[in-house]
Amino acid sequence: MSEQSEVDEMEQEHVPAKQKTFKKNAHIAYFTRCLKALPSQAEGQDGNRITIAFFCLSALDLLGQLHTFSEEQRKGWIEWIWRLQSSSGGFRGSTCMDIPDENQPGHLPSTYTALMCLGILRAPLDRLDVVALGKFLRSCQAADGSFSPTPIHDDSPLTSRFENDLRMTYCASVIQYLINVNIDISSAQRLIHRCRTWEGGYASKPGVIESQEGGTTYCAIASLSLFSSNSESIDIEGVYEEMKMVEQEATLRWALQRQIGGFQGRPGKLEDVCYSFWIGATIHILGHPQLIDSLSDLSFLLSAQSPLGGFGKDPEAYPDPYHSYLALAAISLSHPDLGLLSLDPRLNVSNDTADYLMKEMKRIRTKI
Amino acid sequence: MATATSSYIPLAERSIWSDVQPIPQDDAPDALVPIMYSQEYKDAMDYFRAVSARKEYSDRALELTESILRMNASHYTVWGYRMTTLLVLKKELNEELELMNSFARENLKSYQVWHHRLLLLTHISPEHPTEEIDYIHESLLPDAKNYHTWAYLHWLYSHFSSLGRISEKEWSEELRWCEEMIRVDGRNNSAWGWRWFLRISRPGAEGIKDDGKEEIEYTLRAIHRIPHNVSAWNYLRGSLKYLKKPLTPLLPAILPYTEREDVTITAKEETNLPMPSNPLPRDTPLPISYALEFLAESYQEQGLSIEAAAVYTELSEKYDRMRSAYWAYRAKRCVV
Repeated sequence: MSEQSEVDEMEQEHVPAKQKTFKKNAHIAYFTRCLKALPSQAEGQDGNRITIAFFCLSALDLLGQLHTFSEEQRKGWIEWIWRLQSSSGGFRGSTCMDIPDENQPGHLPSTYTALMCLGILRAPLDRLDVVALGKFLRSCQAADGSFSPTPIHDDSPLTSRFENDLRMTYCASVIQYLINVNIDISSAQRLIHRCRTWEGGYASKPGVIESQEGGTTYCAIASLSLFSSNSESIDIEGVYEEMKMVEQEATLRWALQRQIGGFQGRPGKLEDVCYSFWIGATIHILGHPQLIDSLSDLSFLLSAQSPLGGFGKDPEAYPDPYHSYLALAAISLSHPDLGLLSLDPRLNVSNDTADYLMKEMKRIRTKI
Repeated sequence: MATATSSYIPLAERSIWSDVQPIPQDDAPDALVPIMYSQEYKDAMDYFRAVSARKEYSDRALELTESILRMNASHYTVWGYRMTTLLVLKKELNEELELMNSFARENLKSYQVWHHRLLLLTHISPEHPTEEIDYIHESLLPDAKNYHTWAYLHWLYSHFSSLGRISEKEWSEELRWCEEMIRVDGRNNSAWGWRWFLRISRPGAEGIKDDGKEEIEYTLRAIHRIPHNVSAWNYLRGSLKYLKKPLTPLLPAILPYTEREDVTITAKEETNLPMPSNPLPRDTPLPISYALEFLAESYQEQGLSIEAAAVYTELSEKYDRMRSAYWAYRAKRCVV
């Protein structure tokens, strides 16, 4: 594999041909590089470093590489993540706003990715403040069932709920699934239903026009699935079960209609590797992975590989951690033969990591 | 390490900042994904932490936030601080809006830029948001499918109509603008989504008052203009489903795209439907898979599941190979 990759890379220098083989070693090198340092062009991600870290760590997890880092190194990383835990619950996205003696509030997407990172690194979770985390999650939920990225203060001039969309609902649903906190699940489910569009996909917010993209449909389907894993919460005045079958068929149709080789995020748009995950995983959660034309999908994914590792959004684009990770996640779901660890399509981490997180959460909860 | 441009004067050497002790970032040696900050960015953030710790809302703080946001437009903490500062100093928010025009052009995909704009509009709260609507219409010209811009347009109408500041005339002007967008590019799914909002889902929408007649005719005409347009087909299916109307009466307008002559229709046909042009537009390879699916579903509606399964099987085996497994699945489902 490694020799073959090198040959391909040399040819690549002269002929910018599309990649056809899976460059596992190059990807390992790419994510290892990103973990250690990002170029100054990544300043735009300064506030979201934990999420970039999640893409890199989860990629190396799927690639089966985490054992290659020393225990000391992994402990050091775990320490850094604990530093992001806010004393008022949840996690911040980075240390860039840390000011001595001042608490910064948690941030919902960063809390989801921080928890996943801790699981990937097999960190003992005794230091997780579950009570504060529950409080944090509740303080992010608005009366209409939606979630805000940071705790809601109604009197703040900065409150607008513009970002209360299904991405936030998804992050909340994963946290709720892990720690089983008392949030208003019924109103969260109702909100998701209000996001359904005429196409069978889901918009980011109720009433907001089109199924914005595969990403929000994934968030809707994954959240509904995670919420209903909690047996007390399935029912929405009896309507949910009844509608479920018909609606799921419409969503399945919409999702499969997006395949044009790889997947497009919406009708009339070009392919982008991230939708091989967002829409591919949606189809997996709906229970029909065999309906995907996975060879066409793989061929597009491989063509978007950079010879130096990582994936761009398409064959013409430079690689970045977001597209690179989601491409790997998509490959893990549909091509178990390529040697990646298997993926939990709802939590978007390896099944091993998902199992670890569930066990660890159970352990610390019984301790309380 | 990135090197600073030669003209850059570190903040520590500028007299205006001489009273401030910068707070360097405290990032552990084992930090994940450390960023090799440029000198300008690192410098500005060191002072921003200091300003923020002092809760200093000042002109120089505004300048500082602007220079950081020009380097990192998604820094939500810095945006929040800037907004608070603008309000504390009672700044002219229309000037800030002007500044945002240039930001939006360079950062069309940043949630935070649009969020800041939205907060500004909420605070300025103009009697009529006409200027803002014009601005958004204009910014959709170069990038007609930008999700953030459409979401903002949606917010604009929802917010100002909830304040009672969108008149019926303005709604119908917006619909005309939307129709123009669809006329220019019939495949712009975002524009179709906007039509759905304007005609069907917004409070007071009129598209369902005539039992959807106008919607259906409009969509059929769009299909006849570009027969392979998935957006129009999905809109047609979506509106029929929303209105709980059967598919079968529309078959006469659909059948020419299925390349079938042996179809019998058991339901009452709709009369005066917009019909496909004869001959069809050039570059219309037949049959069209969306039309075959429409036909199959109409068969199912009429209880003709064997006929429906046959159409799905053809889609699977001949006309839509990418979704071969899916159509086989649909064929199997309708005869179970």
